[in-house]
Amino acid sequence: MLEKVEKLSAQQVTTSTLIKKAKKRKEILTIVGFIAPALIVYGVYVVYSIFMTFYYSMFDWSGIDKNLVFLGLDNYIKLFQDDIFWKSLGNNSLLVITSLLTQIPLGLIMALLLFSPIRGMRFFRSIYFMPFLMSTVAIGILFIFIYDGNFGLLNGLLGAIGLESLQQAWIGNEQTAIWAVIATVCWQFAPFYMILFRAAIVGIPEELYEAADIDGAKKWQRFKNITLPLLMPIIITSSILSIIGSLKYFDLIYVMTGGGPNNSTELMATYMYRQTFTNFNMGYGSTISFSMFMIALGVTVVILLGDKRRRGEE
Amino acid sequence: MKKKLMFLLVLVSLLFVVACNSTSSGSDSEKDNTDSGQETGSSSENNSGESKGDSGADKTLTLWHIETGPSEEAINQAVERFEEKNPGVTVEVSQIENDPYKSKLSVAMGGGNPPDVFHSWGGGWLKQFVDAGQVREIGNDIDTSIYNEAALSVATFDDKVYGAPVSMDVVPVFYNKDIFAKYDLEEPETYDELLTIVETLESNRIIPFTLANQSKWTGSFYMMYLAERFGGPELFNEAFGRTGRGFDDEAYVKAAEKIQELVKMNAFPDGVNGMNYDTGQSRQLLYAEKAGMQVMGGWLLNNVRDEMPEFEDKLGFFLFPAVDGGEGKKNHVVGGVSPVFSVTKSSENPDLAAELVKELASVETAEYMSNKAGSISAVNGVEYEDPYIQKMSDVLANSEAMQTYYDQTLPPELAQVHLDTTQALFGLSMTPEEAVKKVEEKAKELLDK
Repeated sequence: MLEKVEKLSAQQVTTSTLIKKAKKRKEILTIVGFIAPALIVYGVYVVYSIFMTFYYSMFDWSGIDKNLVFLGLDNYIKLFQDDIFWKSLGNNSLLVITSLLTQIPLGLIMALLLFSPIRGMRFFRSIYFMPFLMSTVAIGILFIFIYDGNFGLLNGLLGAIGLESLQQAWIGNEQTAIWAVIATVCWQFAPFYMILFRAAIVGIPEELYEAADIDGAKKWQRFKNITLPLLMPIIITSSILSIIGSLKYFDLIYVMTGGGPNNSTELMATYMYRQTFTNFNMGYGSTISFSMFMIALGVTVVILLGDKRRRGEE
Repeated sequence: MKKKLMFLLVLVSLLFVVACNSTSSGSDSEKDNTDSGQETGSSSENNSGESKGDSGADKTLTLWHIETGPSEEAINQAVERFEEKNPGVTVEVSQIENDPYKSKLSVAMGGGNPPDVFHSWGGGWLKQFVDAGQVREIGNDIDTSIYNEAALSVATFDDKVYGAPVSMDVVPVFYNKDIFAKYDLEEPETYDELLTIVETLESNRIIPFTLANQSKWTGSFYMMYLAERFGGPELFNEAFGRTGRGFDDEAYVKAAEKIQELVKMNAFPDGVNGMNYDTGQSRQLLYAEKAGMQVMGGWLLNNVRDEMPEFEDKLGFFLFPAVDGGEGKKNHVVGGVSPVFSVTKSSENPDLAAELVKELASVETAEYMSNKAGSISAVNGVEYEDPYIQKMSDVLANSEAMQTYYDQTLPPELAQVHLDTTQALFGLSMTPEEAVKKVEEKAKELLDK
């Protein structure tokens, strides 16, 4: 409404349509001027790169010479028959699920804890946030030593409390390696969601809680009926971040296990890296990258559509 | 208004253009200024009319290597000598960790900004870059006659020399003399004696072999040695050259079986496949005297001198023993050449880069490396002060055959399969037959062309 009024009055003021056109052109120019820098960067480093990845994925190419052999979609056929790719996709799904089930609840719990009246809150706040501040490589190497089978901290702890039977080489064992790494990933990222939730909780109006108190609401009811519903948008955003992040995850795996032992911790991104830079298969590596992109895109679209429908229902 | 806006746009785009170019032109002109100042001050004999480009001044070469400890010192000294001989030329040295180096270099080669001079191990890995037209032939720039023939051969493809070797290594079995003395053990002559040692150590709660097999090339030593001991020195050459036995030969199956036999005897630490050589996890067990032996290249001595010098007194070595009924002998060694220095084709100063390679692969560097870092010189005419290295060098001189590392000789993709399957063997997640079949399949795909 307000806009309409403004427009009407503007129309009254400007008598000539010529001036109006000139003004509009200027407006467009201003808009372009502001958008262009970001658009150029985005275009070159995202849109163009995605297109080029798809282009390279149709070739047999080592990545270090000028000898490209056109294969069409052969690389994609090869990919669908590649056991290691399916294994890595499975590991990625596992990471997505565990991240959703641990990082976000853990982040929420830590955020709620920070609002409870405990002494030394500032201390806990710093401690909780610490993992996120450390460099990934440092975390990786730290946990390599924690998980070490022969003199690792974890085995030492287990021994100290009489659980020698559980002692093992956590990242050297094909069955436990993926869980060990996933635990580290969750440890690293839970604080990130804690910060998001903390900010969101601060934004919930105090009046709602006061009203709830007057109505005689218990703590759990306050959480269930006020905090959680109002946090829903941020929980959904966090879930999307977590899912996408897990689908393209790379760094800790690369540092801690390199995808091993025997591909048991291979993720799509580490497999792509290995094919591209260790095996000199730039073409096949691009095929993996592009498939990763399509999978992440598909998942995002599904989540956004689901969210839209949910909002529509409300 | 409009004019102002246009002016702003022009200004912004100008800034953009300037910002993009400044890295190349801006810094160059700065250097020109400072260097011309130095020239007039110091080297007055220089013809003032000569253009700066020709005088060899204000040039930068980049060098990438992976040496640590005393070997790194040897590289730095060589660079200093080079800079003294070539005033005005600076060398930017980057020391990179072993495993990341391999991918970093291939990214740089693919991205078109590789260093001028780079480290390699010769073999299939270097050949990959040679085939891609990224490496300069330097046979005419360096004096090839000063190098050990076997060492030079790893950087020679189609009779063209693409790199200069500095030192060589052999892979013996290192052991802790104190532990051997304590349990009354002697250096083994046969594989059965080695197995007895493994049993003795194991029953005394000492890990027989320490091994960090997340790095994969570390476990590959066992595969290479056992396969050679069963199939003889020609086995690998036949499989690689596709002229006889293949990678699925019985000798490979037997070697794989022996590895799994060792694993089942608890000859290796728990979780070998999760331990990383670069972070020192296997060496810690050796230093802490929790482990008795380690099959490792001569560079282990370099690591020991760097990390725990007092341990050197306890460190002894013997050669991997022969197996009964096998074709290989105890004096056939697994070994390799490292570092080999090569010049990239895209180098803007190829002559200077070749000079740098000459200095890096000179007698001085090789001598320093041999005496301080425990590697055998690939340059002829080095005198060893270190009795240890003299002993190693004698081993190499007395050996009848040398097997170069598979993972550096084979094309990278095949090497990766060899490493992956060997790691899986150690993890008992693949049977010997499966493992050798996988390698042979890949070899057929890549080598039978």
